[in-house]
Amino acid sequence: MNTSSMMPTWPAAPPAPGTQPSNGYTASYPAPTAFTTVQVRQSFGQSYSTPPPSYPVAHPYGPSHFPPPSPANLAPIVNSPPAVVEEQPKKKIDWPESVRRYVQRSFIPANLDASVSREEMEGKLKETITQANENGVMYTLNWDTMPLPQHMIREERARAMLPLASRPRPQVTAAVSNTNPVSKKRKSWDLTDAPSAAPPWRNGPGSLEDRVTFSPDKTHAGDELGKRGTKLNRLEKRQKRFENEYKSMAREDSPPPPDGPVVGTCQALEKPYFRLTAAPKADKVRPPYILRQTLELLKKKWKKDQNYTYICDQFKSARQDLTVQRIRDEFTVEVYEIHARIALEKGDLGEYNQCQTQLKALYKLGLKGKANEFQAYRILYFIHTANRTELNNALADLTAAEKKDTAIKHALDVRSALALGNYHRFFQLYNETPNMGAYLMDMFVGRERLAALCNICRAYKQAVPLRFVTEELYFESDVEAAQFIIDHEGQDLLQDDNGTIMFLTAKAGQRFEGARAAAFSRVDIKGQI
Amino acid sequence: MEFGAPLFHEFAEAYSHQSGPRLSLTLSPEIPTEKLRKIWKSQNAHDIKGALKRGLRANAAAFGVSNEEMQGWVEVYTAYWKATGEILAVREARGDNGQSSWTNVYQAWRQLLNDLIRGYQNFGFEAWTIPCLYVVSKHLRLFAIMADEERSSNSGLDDSAAVTLLDDFDPDSHKHQKQEDCAGVLSKVFSICQSDRAPLEESRKWGTYYIINLLLKTYFRLNAVALSKNILRSLIAARKDMPDFSKFPKSHQVTFKYHEGVLDFLEENYAAAEKHLTEAWNLCHKDSVRNKELILTYLVPCHLITTHTLPTEKLLAPFPRLQKLFLPLCRCIKKGDLHAFDLALQEGEDEFVRRRIYLTLERGRDIALRNLLRKVLIARGFEAAKEGEKPVRRSRVPVAEFAAAISLGSQEKIDNDEVECLLANMIYKGLMKGYISRMHGIVVLSKTGAFPGTGV
Repeated sequence: MNTSSMMPTWPAAPPAPGTQPSNGYTASYPAPTAFTTVQVRQSFGQSYSTPPPSYPVAHPYGPSHFPPPSPANLAPIVNSPPAVVEEQPKKKIDWPESVRRYVQRSFIPANLDASVSREEMEGKLKETITQANENGVMYTLNWDTMPLPQHMIREERARAMLPLASRPRPQVTAAVSNTNPVSKKRKSWDLTDAPSAAPPWRNGPGSLEDRVTFSPDKTHAGDELGKRGTKLNRLEKRQKRFENEYKSMAREDSPPPPDGPVVGTCQALEKPYFRLTAAPKADKVRPPYILRQTLELLKKKWKKDQNYTYICDQFKSARQDLTVQRIRDEFTVEVYEIHARIALEKGDLGEYNQCQTQLKALYKLGLKGKANEFQAYRILYFIHTANRTELNNALADLTAAEKKDTAIKHALDVRSALALGNYHRFFQLYNETPNMGAYLMDMFVGRERLAALCNICRAYKQAVPLRFVTEELYFESDVEAAQFIIDHEGQDLLQDDNGTIMFLTAKAGQRFEGARAAAFSRVDIKGQI
Repeated sequence: MEFGAPLFHEFAEAYSHQSGPRLSLTLSPEIPTEKLRKIWKSQNAHDIKGALKRGLRANAAAFGVSNEEMQGWVEVYTAYWKATGEILAVREARGDNGQSSWTNVYQAWRQLLNDLIRGYQNFGFEAWTIPCLYVVSKHLRLFAIMADEERSSNSGLDDSAAVTLLDDFDPDSHKHQKQEDCAGVLSKVFSICQSDRAPLEESRKWGTYYIINLLLKTYFRLNAVALSKNILRSLIAARKDMPDFSKFPKSHQVTFKYHEGVLDFLEENYAAAEKHLTEAWNLCHKDSVRNKELILTYLVPCHLITTHTLPTEKLLAPFPRLQKLFLPLCRCIKKGDLHAFDLALQEGEDEFVRRRIYLTLERGRDIALRNLLRKVLIARGFEAAKEGEKPVRRSRVPVAEFAAAISLGSQEKIDNDEVECLLANMIYKGLMKGYISRMHGIVVLSKTGAFPGTGV
């Protein structure tokens, strides 16, 4: 045997593109986010049980525009193109300042596009703004980051170049026999020239394609079958003989699944989540500009109602719409980030983990977002699930710059404190958790308290003041500490000694060992791979 | 060996002796370019099947090779011949523009392995020929690595474009495309070995561990530890029908035990890891330095946890790399120099993490701390000895003294509560015997053996 080839190697994963430079913007939070960073209890005095409200009105892109504009905004728009201005009196709409800025921005010479006529732009502007108004998000939408009409038009044109089947039309899936070999090329043009058949391992259980049951692999398998079953005309036979790469699309029996991503045409902002069992229909899928409005709406609703069942469902459908349209940009990142945070806050680790996994991949593509914040959560999450292998991998992935990031460093310190049994340090870190990491730490702080209690019972002779336990294990109050001890069958270990409540460590013996072992063995999470 | 008379002769010879290793040589890609060229030039795509059919039959029919079996070998050698063309293209560096050439080699070789698998499934290849499977499988993995490396070095642009095409957007998976594919083919080989129901003496089951080892290597490289676990699980399920482990070739055993040990190590099952790695160590050929080095890479940290022992210099003497890896840490642990330990751990962090031993070595800090505390006790000396009695150590140690010792190296103040926490850990882990009296701020250490196993 060739011994030199016998050893496994651990290829050090290179730093993900785009993650390193992100250090600067996650270390601090200059821009207001949709979420206030949740401070863990800063002092014992604060109430433990009421989590602080975490969704203020802030806007992810920049300054937001609640509340409605002042009367000053009613002034006629001077710089706007006539077509748009004409619209105004008819509809009697008060254009917010942000919308006017958007219109102005569209007509800045530097932004103009020779291939897009003024009429087209005006039409698009009208459509976009009317849409926003009808959906009631005109004031909340961030017009400063809204794609310009000329960009939207270009995007639409690009999509129109796609094969017929995927055009945003109702009844796209009607039997459009796609025998034109050019269509294959078109698709490549839009995306890449890479062969389109997905390799087999991409259909693993975790693959997104599987989740929506829309796998190119399956499509082609179907094609092969269809080919055998149907009579091919001479031309196709010729094609097949000479051009292996042109997979014939002719199938008489069933409508072909769309070739390439769907382009949504659905205009509704809200949509319940429904697990796809067939290729998505364009009229049920919302295009990005609608989804942006959806996100604004969801943020508002979450802040107002805090109805997690509803919000989670809506976010899942939004994510699905992004997926089936293969939209992977910074907006996608934002959707996943917000959903991850909400799931975190509600302790829905299964959903959180799904978001986290996607986020990791998205950041790796070089998309901007709060990569470091989520990398820190990821480490805390692996601590919680006691997933040593993944923790190892996560450590190996970190770059030197990332290790210096406040949130990541905090998570690493937590890990190290726990590894060395330094509960004193651990509970200090618990108190200093940045961002929303405390929600994750809440999940395992109980078991760490049990572990620490076991330590204390073994090491301290006779008794220690209850206050010592309270402080070391970071309980809110003596009452809470006492409750914790009582909850774990330690009622007889508390004793009043001249007004000081003592915790009888000597008497405890192995009391908490069972609870500790149980707490560490039970980490079962829905959706965990 | 030319693809003509010499091949047919060799094939017939191997068949007549039923020599698998000899037969496997006819399918090896590890031959000089000159020979490779000869093979490639000796046939053409049009005639090769016919020539093989005639040649093999004329030479080997005498040894009871059935027509069916012969047909299988014709396919195999045809695939091999095609692969030689691709290998030749790479060696002569005239791969087509754009299309990476190791990828072509990989594809051709994959076809060869598939034909070989089919030989066992459909054409009745006998179990003595499994060394052919070894050789072909082994090189499939190597070609997969070459293809992946070549592709990632060729152009990053190309990569990211392909990534965006697919919905399952794990950018990493693309990097190991061929190796993942290879793992899929190898698991097919694994199942044709393991599921053979022929009597043991003529069973392909004997190939199980060789193929498992290849699979595990592939998974390790792909960082897919979970998949490795699946393989081990299916092995355990089938164990009762398997020949006894000790009957397998030693080289298969060593490699398997090593992998098994590392998997346990990664899950922090140190006792099991120690067991498997020790077995691997004992079975390992004394001259395979590289393998011994690999075993020790995990066995040394393992011992630190299970027995709190450090490697001797003599043990590490033949392994300069391991000396560099472990000795700085070992020195700090021995001296009980916490601060230096932290620095050494930081210094080696990248390498430790890469080898997945960081989390384990980190726990060596406990031993370093134990040694430091032990020094504190020793430095305190003895109680005034009573007449005729053994001197007794002054074992009631103020927490502040331990605190001073701990912050000695780093010169950083550490508060007494944290010191107590560290001491409580020592006591809880059984590294130190005694108790803390919080009221008096002292630690009362056992008068006999405060630090078990250290003579103090």
